[in-house]
Amino acid sequence: MGKLIKKLIILTTIVFLWHLAVVIFRIPSYLFPSPILVYSSFWENKIAIFSNTLITLNETVIGFLIANLISVSIALGIAFNKDLEDFIMPFAITLKTIPVIAITPLLVIWLGSGSSSKIATAALICFFPSLVNVLRGVKSLDKDLIELFKVYSANKVQLAKMLIIPSIMPYLFAALKISSSLAVVGALVGEFIGANRGLGFLILSNYYNLNTPYVFACIIVSSLTGIGFYYLIHFIEKKVVTWTVSVD
Amino acid sequence: MDLIEVNDVEKHYQRLVAVKNLTFTIKAGDFVTFVGPFGCGKTTILNLIGGITENYKGSILINSESPIIIRKKRKIGFCFQKPNLLPWMNALENVLLPQKIASLKEDREKGLKFLKMVGLDRFADKRPYELSGGMQQLVSIARGLILNPDILLLDEPLSSIDEINRSKLHLKLLEIHRQTKKTTIMVTHSINEAVFLSNQVIVLTSRPAKVRKIVDIEITQRNEETVYSDKFLKYAELIKEELRNGQTN
Repeated sequence: MGKLIKKLIILTTIVFLWHLAVVIFRIPSYLFPSPILVYSSFWENKIAIFSNTLITLNETVIGFLIANLISVSIALGIAFNKDLEDFIMPFAITLKTIPVIAITPLLVIWLGSGSSSKIATAALICFFPSLVNVLRGVKSLDKDLIELFKVYSANKVQLAKMLIIPSIMPYLFAALKISSSLAVVGALVGEFIGANRGLGFLILSNYYNLNTPYVFACIIVSSLTGIGFYYLIHFIEKKVVTWTVSVD
Repeated sequence: MDLIEVNDVEKHYQRLVAVKNLTFTIKAGDFVTFVGPFGCGKTTILNLIGGITENYKGSILINSESPIIIRKKRKIGFCFQKPNLLPWMNALENVLLPQKIASLKEDREKGLKFLKMVGLDRFADKRPYELSGGMQQLVSIARGLILNPDILLLDEPLSSIDEINRSKLHLKLLEIHRQTKKTTIMVTHSINEAVFLSNQVIVLTSRPAKVRKIVDIEITQRNEETVYSDKFLKYAELIKEELRNGQTN
């Protein structure tokens, strides 16, 4: 409870200083609106913001799930066949070196301006950090435990189900936490490039109209969406991984 | 009756010869301990008997079958240097793990029976991090026994346990052996541990491991005072002497 009060005090102080700065330096609202203006804009447009947040969230979650599902599958493949790493990693690193913002127009061309291209952008931005973390988990597998399963003649499915997946859980959750906030960024980037809905679209269209309070409101909501998603994963981690401390 | 027959076994790891001309037999129900210098190949011998290490020269027969077949029939229980418990499972679930791998119905009653045998039935729902090192090792012994194996292999199971708890665990191991009557084969560095627990000690030479001497231990009463008896000290001295000679020869 004490921690929550501290956080609230810090937050209130920041908002107050922000308001004070806008009033003292007489900053025009199209440059830097006061928190009151931002809140008013949010309240006026709450339905539009809420419905577009749901769209962005939907793209975020699907992209996030696809990226993590692929990275876990690859990591499991590498756990059983080390040569797969030499084959996959050059592609994964190449994918990582291409800036997402540069590849998004292509995704829009290939997948259209609907949700698919945003899901793909979110998945793309999540994929590499997720893969690297889950691979760390696979590489830190206890060799003695693998030996134990071997002496009891466990098959590969049993090895994956009873040993590898539980062992990589702490690393998987570290990956999920990193990629949860990245996925929101990915979906927003996708919406910036070509969309007619979603938070990214709202930000861009209001930026063109110099409706800065609305832009601020959307930015804060997208940030809160990322934070909420992160803490949801953190909450699930605390319920699932009860035998060890977090690895991040 | 001989349960295990090892005849002229030789095992190479590339250029390294781990064991050579290894010949011995082990009777059913015996508690046999291998002692030898550090790195002489004791664990290799255990792995050969356990059917974990393959591609060797010579012959190893357990009940007239190869160790690999016996392992696949899950007739060998293992207990390693480290307890190797799964941290996300509690003590009972860890004991039942071999049943789960063997796709057998999990027999919780049986698991609790073995936990009771090692004195840990009250800790059945505790995770490994809530147990001491000695307790974890006892859970791993209970796990080694859950499939009712013919042979229990112990690879320096008490090497990381402190001296005081080790003495308690020695008595516990003797009690488990008395109750289960399983053929138990252990590897250790400790001469006192070997003499106290076993009815036969096989002294090995330095690498490549060969049998230097087989010492039958005839101590009827084993308790905390045994280690101070003349008989015990005589056996310990004999084994120490053989080890010393085995290293110099």
